[in-house]
Amino acid sequence: MDNKEYQLIKDVDYEYDADIGLAYASPVRGVWNIVHMGTLMPQGHQIYVCPVSCLRGVVLTTAEMGAMDKMSTISIGEDNILEGDMEEQLFLGAERVINELPERPRMMMIFTSCIHHFMAVNYRRVYKLLQEKYPDIDFVDCYMDPIMRRTRPVVPVLWRQMHRSLKMREPEELRDDQVNYLGNCFPHEEFCDLTNVLAERGVRKIEINSCRTYDEFLEESRSKVNFVFHNTGVRAAKDLKVRLKQEWMQLRPGYTYDQYDEDLSAACRMCGVEPPAEEWSREQRRLTEAAVQETAELLGDTPVSIDYAAVDRPLELALFLLDHGFNVESVFVETFIESQEVFDALKAARPELKVYATAGWNLRRMERGHDGKVLCIGQKCAYFLDSDYFVNMVENDGLYGYSGTRRLMEMIREAYEEPKPMKELVQVKGLGCCCS
Amino acid sequence: MLLLMRKDYQTHVFTNTYTADVSGVCSAMYELGGMSVLHDPSGCNSTYSTHDEPRWFDGNSLMFVSGLDEMTAVMGDDTVLIRDVARAAADLKPRFITLCGASIPHIIAFDFRGVAHLIEKETGIPVLPVPTDGLKLYTKGVGMALTAWIKRFADPAVCGWDKAHTRKPGELTVNLMGVTPLDFSVNGNAEALVRTFEEAGIPVNCCMAMNNSFEQLQQVYRGAVNVVVSSAGRRPAHFMEKTTGMPKVEGLPIGPEQTEALIHAVREAFEDGVSRVTWERDPQADRWEIPEGNILVIGEEIFARSLASAINKLPETDRGGMTAYGMWPDVNEDMSEEPLIKAAKEAGMIVGDPLFRILPGSKGKPFVSMPHEAYSGRINRKDMKLFATPGFPVAEIIKNALV
Repeated sequence: MDNKEYQLIKDVDYEYDADIGLAYASPVRGVWNIVHMGTLMPQGHQIYVCPVSCLRGVVLTTAEMGAMDKMSTISIGEDNILEGDMEEQLFLGAERVINELPERPRMMMIFTSCIHHFMAVNYRRVYKLLQEKYPDIDFVDCYMDPIMRRTRPVVPVLWRQMHRSLKMREPEELRDDQVNYLGNCFPHEEFCDLTNVLAERGVRKIEINSCRTYDEFLEESRSKVNFVFHNTGVRAAKDLKVRLKQEWMQLRPGYTYDQYDEDLSAACRMCGVEPPAEEWSREQRRLTEAAVQETAELLGDTPVSIDYAAVDRPLELALFLLDHGFNVESVFVETFIESQEVFDALKAARPELKVYATAGWNLRRMERGHDGKVLCIGQKCAYFLDSDYFVNMVENDGLYGYSGTRRLMEMIREAYEEPKPMKELVQVKGLGCCCS
Repeated sequence: MLLLMRKDYQTHVFTNTYTADVSGVCSAMYELGGMSVLHDPSGCNSTYSTHDEPRWFDGNSLMFVSGLDEMTAVMGDDTVLIRDVARAAADLKPRFITLCGASIPHIIAFDFRGVAHLIEKETGIPVLPVPTDGLKLYTKGVGMALTAWIKRFADPAVCGWDKAHTRKPGELTVNLMGVTPLDFSVNGNAEALVRTFEEAGIPVNCCMAMNNSFEQLQQVYRGAVNVVVSSAGRRPAHFMEKTTGMPKVEGLPIGPEQTEALIHAVREAFEDGVSRVTWERDPQADRWEIPEGNILVIGEEIFARSLASAINKLPETDRGGMTAYGMWPDVNEDMSEEPLIKAAKEAGMIVGDPLFRILPGSKGKPFVSMPHEAYSGRINRKDMKLFATPGFPVAEIIKNALV
């Protein structure tokens, strides 16, 4: 059979990239988009300035969250293009929003779109004028411009822009006992080793997803160190390094114990606190290995599938699970972000591993299903393999390190034993955001 | 200040936006075995499949986005799109391809017809160019797509029309124009429309475009009268009227009185060949100058006018002495929020999608919830009403809201 739905990893090059043709949008919608991210800003308000075809999605995302009070829109018409009055439109539209809102926002994120680039709109001047007229509001330029996605992807750029209102502090205002986590949709709490290790040493973390007030968010400018867990947060960290001189470090969100130890030790040194002892590490490894073993025994030969929306490093997770006796059968990925070393090792470990591109046009006509039970890690593979036995998570779900891996194992065991209403769950836009 | 008075700048503080022309195109073509290609960077496709297309999860109809990027747009390199469409078409073998686009193709003057021709030449598959721009509403997109489809695939000659297009149909049959889930959801409204006409002794030739096959719709010229049940169907009906003289009647069968008026208008149009509408013309209301203390019906134009007309056919006591007026989005300029807010503040009762409850001034007023897929998407899908039927209890819902 001339299969067009997947490739075997033995036939795939490391340079694989699925963004090479017509794209299919599956009904799976758990991954957060920029609207979800924008609503994390406490006391913030978003304005989207776009044609109706772009506005529709962002407004209904907000409506489904029950957060219509956190966003407004300005729709671009043919007249704006012909008359070249997009600066006026932006300024006067933003003014109307400010005047109509029942409560004054502390921060206003104004999203311009693809069309503004092509019309050479001078939006920076508009923001300057708005800032002068409304000094009590922080205006931030944000972008919903997927046409720039190859060089300026929208999610990393938004994380950077959301932190643009942080201003450099005097040295005496800086605090040694707090750090920031950047670029996280989900709070990193008890299943994040870094949070636990730092808390034991008296260092608290601030992340936007847990801030209740804008002032609480502004406290981030008093931290000396930023930590990043996802690649999408790197631009924010680099920007803050330049503007606020805050040091930063990316923790590798993979499944290699040695990397956990290295990263945790380096993070502690950056914060000026004692790194975890070897004994701690040995105990963590023992507990984690036991959890992984217990899970492997429960699943037996049950096929496992992993998607890129659930975990940041799907290939690395596949390799980790194969090494521990799991029967990993497929991965759903758009591109490889792991090192070539991981890719080659996986290819050697399971040359028949199926690689699906979730946005590929042939997946629209794929016969969704699987012969027998399949355990899916992530919504996308659950949808395509039509499985109710799945771990309902996106973007690592706030997991990191040994405790994160143990929690993942626990979630796999739960998913294996308890089916979920897949059709209902995967269509919810922005996992954890929906009001209903 | 002058600037402020000149135009409203389309700012929406409280309201959602109706869905766009591109979703209208995809919705209209969904059941016809084609492949819709949306020329756009990204986003419009997932908006359509998430919020506007209730058939997406369980179906396998083809709709893709081209993934236009900055470099391709700047260089005007259409070969990327032609190659990508040809590759997908070779795998999926659609019956035809529809090519529509959003705002960037529009401002870079993308040549829809030329590229459609080249794709057709490359693939041997018919390609319909539908030059949407992502700035207009779904009603326009549905209308453009259906018109393009009729022009290409429906032949008056095979349906008994001579070259001068002067056939006199022997039997009264109707085409229902502009039927998509965006206005009628998937809760039985499309089926109820057909049933309503058939129970009145008028066979339905085509329901364009839900629950009918490609071949059935090719017979659209066998109909005698086009019934425009959504303003989305106005454009193809107008095209057919222009080319063959087939009259059109605008209206929806909502409740017993309005259904009777519609059936009567259809029979009259069949007899005299003159197009008509099923409501009283009111230029003042058309300008949205709605007198205070009345019933405001917000929705798609044909729906809003038909429901308002149905309400006004009730005895005055059943509607609290009020008169109903329709209000609908402007298809060219999206919907301006200010006149809507003004009308809502002054209304005695509001009928519309539940998301309009957020309008300032609407709180505390009688509100009749009529969820509309093209406005609130899937949010209220489970509460969609079966309204396109003589059995729709217009009197009851108005009375209940007044209590």
